[in-house]
Amino acid sequence: MVFELKEGIFVLDDLRNVSIKIGKVIEEEEEWTEPVGPTPKPGILDLRNWDHKLLERYEPFYGPVQDFCNLCTMGPCDLSMNKKGACGIDLRTSKARLVAIACCIGAAAHTAHARHLLNHIIEEYGEDLPIDLGSNINVEAPNIRLICGIKPKTIGDLREALDWAESEIVKVLHSTHIGNEESYIDYESKAMHVGMVDHVGMEVADIAQMVAYNLPKAEPDTPLVDTGFGIVDRTKPVIIVVGHNVMYARPVADYLEEKGLIDQFELAGLCCTAHDMVRYNSKAKIFGPIYYQLRVIRAGLPDIVISDEQCIRSDLLEACKAMGIPLIATSDAACRGLPNRNNDPVEEIIKDILSGKTPGVFLDDGEKIAEVAIKVAQEIFKRKQKGELFLTEDELKEEVKKCTQCMSCVFTCPHNLRIDQGMAAGKKGDYSKLAALEEVCIACGKCEQTCPKSIRIINVIMKTGYQSLISKTGKTRVGRGMVQDTEIRNVGQPIVFGQIPGVIAAVGCINYPDVMQDIRDILEEFLKRRYIVVTSGCHAMDIGMLKDEEGQTLYEKYPGNFDAGGLVNTGSCVSNAHIAGAVIKIANIFAMRSLRGNYAEIADYTLNRVGAVGFSWGPYSHKAASIATGFNRLGVPVVVGPHGTKYRRAYIGKFWKPEKWWVYDIKSRQKVSIEPAPDILIAAVETKEEAIVQLARLCLRPNDTSQGRQIKLTHYLELSQNYLGALPDDWPIYVRSEADLPLKMKDTLLKVLEEEHGWKIDWSKKKILEGPIRQFDAGFNPTIIEEVYDKYTKK
Amino acid sequence: MAKASEKVSKGEKFPLAKRFQVADIQASKEATAVKPEVVAKMVKRAKNPVLVTGKYLLKEPKLVEVAVKFYGKGIPIIATGGSSKPLIENGVKPQSVVFSLHQITQYMLDPEWKGFNGQPYDLVLYLGFTPYYLSRMLSALKHFSKLTTIAIDEFYHPHAKFSFTNLTKDKELHYAMLEKVLEGI
Repeated sequence: MVFELKEGIFVLDDLRNVSIKIGKVIEEEEEWTEPVGPTPKPGILDLRNWDHKLLERYEPFYGPVQDFCNLCTMGPCDLSMNKKGACGIDLRTSKARLVAIACCIGAAAHTAHARHLLNHIIEEYGEDLPIDLGSNINVEAPNIRLICGIKPKTIGDLREALDWAESEIVKVLHSTHIGNEESYIDYESKAMHVGMVDHVGMEVADIAQMVAYNLPKAEPDTPLVDTGFGIVDRTKPVIIVVGHNVMYARPVADYLEEKGLIDQFELAGLCCTAHDMVRYNSKAKIFGPIYYQLRVIRAGLPDIVISDEQCIRSDLLEACKAMGIPLIATSDAACRGLPNRNNDPVEEIIKDILSGKTPGVFLDDGEKIAEVAIKVAQEIFKRKQKGELFLTEDELKEEVKKCTQCMSCVFTCPHNLRIDQGMAAGKKGDYSKLAALEEVCIACGKCEQTCPKSIRIINVIMKTGYQSLISKTGKTRVGRGMVQDTEIRNVGQPIVFGQIPGVIAAVGCINYPDVMQDIRDILEEFLKRRYIVVTSGCHAMDIGMLKDEEGQTLYEKYPGNFDAGGLVNTGSCVSNAHIAGAVIKIANIFAMRSLRGNYAEIADYTLNRVGAVGFSWGPYSHKAASIATGFNRLGVPVVVGPHGTKYRRAYIGKFWKPEKWWVYDIKSRQKVSIEPAPDILIAAVETKEEAIVQLARLCLRPNDTSQGRQIKLTHYLELSQNYLGALPDDWPIYVRSEADLPLKMKDTLLKVLEEEHGWKIDWSKKKILEGPIRQFDAGFNPTIIEEVYDKYTKK
Repeated sequence: MAKASEKVSKGEKFPLAKRFQVADIQASKEATAVKPEVVAKMVKRAKNPVLVTGKYLLKEPKLVEVAVKFYGKGIPIIATGGSSKPLIENGVKPQSVVFSLHQITQYMLDPEWKGFNGQPYDLVLYLGFTPYYLSRMLSALKHFSKLTTIAIDEFYHPHAKFSFTNLTKDKELHYAMLEKVLEGI
């Protein structure tokens, strides 16, 4: 007999021959006074209205890379000029579907990573391991609280959030099957849904590793670690970990510590595993992001490479083999064709690697990975020839001599770098043009694939640009994870009222349009102006390589606290959840808005009040697509570099359509026309100059106080004058009263408003009488959601 | 539209219309590669043409000089990417300085947009852009608008309606072609 007892208290007496299986014991709930909001664990439909509101204002833009669709066997179909294919889908909808698929890939990467970590951590530490993030963190999981309506207390509780996340990713992926969605707007809603799910997956992963592996818990003054190409001492064996999951790098660090070998080896990382490894053990070092993979391997720096998952080159094994570097693959997401040797004795595995019988192995047993890696690295190090890096001088001459100036490399390079000109000058003994390419080259290797003479172009560039490469060596402040509740209490009001002009969140990849230095220049502009700058992932490690004339990186110049002029490194890709978390906490801790399953209200609050802007200067990955789309659903606009247009889609509002810009004002109980702030949810810019001005512009919010608006406009106008050579075209639409005008420019601007825009000015009082879209009202309380309006007006 | 006789044909001095990026574009309908004289004729015939400028005006002074000459011939300029700064320094008053090419393209896709001067543009020239960035914009306009787009950069842009051929190898030829366009306006 099987029967199910529902939640509650039951008394069982005098039972015999009964086997009782207990599933999950639900303890008496600790008091969580927040009421459950309208959308705990939302499905695709639950936040659709919110998405449609956003997409009505921020209309999707599609710039297809290809005119065709070839996803099914009814095709391929020519969809050019928005034609329909065999299945009935048109070009616009097919591109929206592609974006939804990209976001599914990104969200799946973080969520599978989270599942992998969580399962191992529960196995190792038990499900009852408490989520204790220190005394400064009460809102431990803002994304999970907000989206899932769960307040996790133990590591085991995170499973519930992850179960929901996995199921939603599958549902959205299902919708991309042939014959499903007909509306591009609904595909965008699904992309937003899965983007939001991504933030839950990331938060689970990072909370789990912060708690179990004792990573820094929101301390602003984490250690500074060596970063860049020149970090390793080549007189020691070098172990390199590559990827995004620290689970298998950790046992290596532990083994080295236990055996007292940590100072006799160099342990360094590429990509986000590096971030998380230095959070775990700050004696480890950071080489750099994905475009440093071929730089480091071709230089022959590693004595062994351990790969895990995500942004790893797909030809990593081949690249390692070419240099005689053994590889241990550790993730089932990237087995690399290597034999699974988990069941073999360590000595046998080592023997096979060192004899060359196998170029590498697959292992996912942490202890074995550590022992094999360390012993193999020791032996490879002894055998290694310590010659010149990349090429000898003679080899360089020979390589350059082979160039026929066919320019195939130029038209294959993602940046159309003028390799041909560099080679031509190199033939004459002038390597300066080749050397200059190091600054921009992402070392993707496509040029070598197309070169009819098989020139080792990357080696040529890195050899000639060696001084530039080696000089990019500095310090990164170790990722701190989340932002403290106490910090939010201090800055919540100035951010919402605008006295802190904005939060710039520099997140993402390295496919920069120009020199790496630009990312530092952009962020420093805002640090100097006392914006809060938050960073993670590749951007966070790249700024750790770039020093100023005094030899300092940004981390050495600016403090690590979440405050005006602070530079906060949250950590790896999965630590992006804490940036969304900080935004969510502002609504919760400062404004006392309930989080529990209350997504749309918080996103609406963010859109109207929190001057936070995401910035991804070199996006390339699917993860960046889903992270950004998740931020967009939360009401945070994102600016991307020009490569970001290859995601094919943007969300761009039209300032010149006044009917699109309105809110309900809870105070006046009126529908009010507003200034278009922000007028973009995601769009690309082309240059550093444009990025700086757009970031300042997108910090404007309808809820700014006069003082806040004045501060934000001061920066916006100054930056526009500095970088664009003129006042921005649209500044008058952000002026609600004379109090909004920058003090130093007030008279001049009033004159412009009167003479060029026909506004009426009372010059005796220097007061604007007529002209603005609306007047400033100190009690202005905007929302674009009817239910939120009803909630606060019917109280 | 350019007549067949006005297109770049084999045997002429112009380089081939080779794509700026071999894998970037898979297009069923590609730009007509045109001579500078044809570009000039189209500009002259247009009711409300505009020149949109981008990043490379910050790197190549010659492009600034060319844009200033277009302005001098009465072609208004929408400056993006910070290209406004050198243009303003050279006496140009752009129609806009702050909106990105991405925004401008979104506006141009909307038949309701009246442009910055109160009337819709019917012909848009593009000068000084990062090719992969401009390519996405030209693609959007190709598929979802009827606007006449002309790429006069050194790269052949398949998604434009009309484009110069691939002039990457010969910058001087590119500059000479730009001057030729100006001569014909």
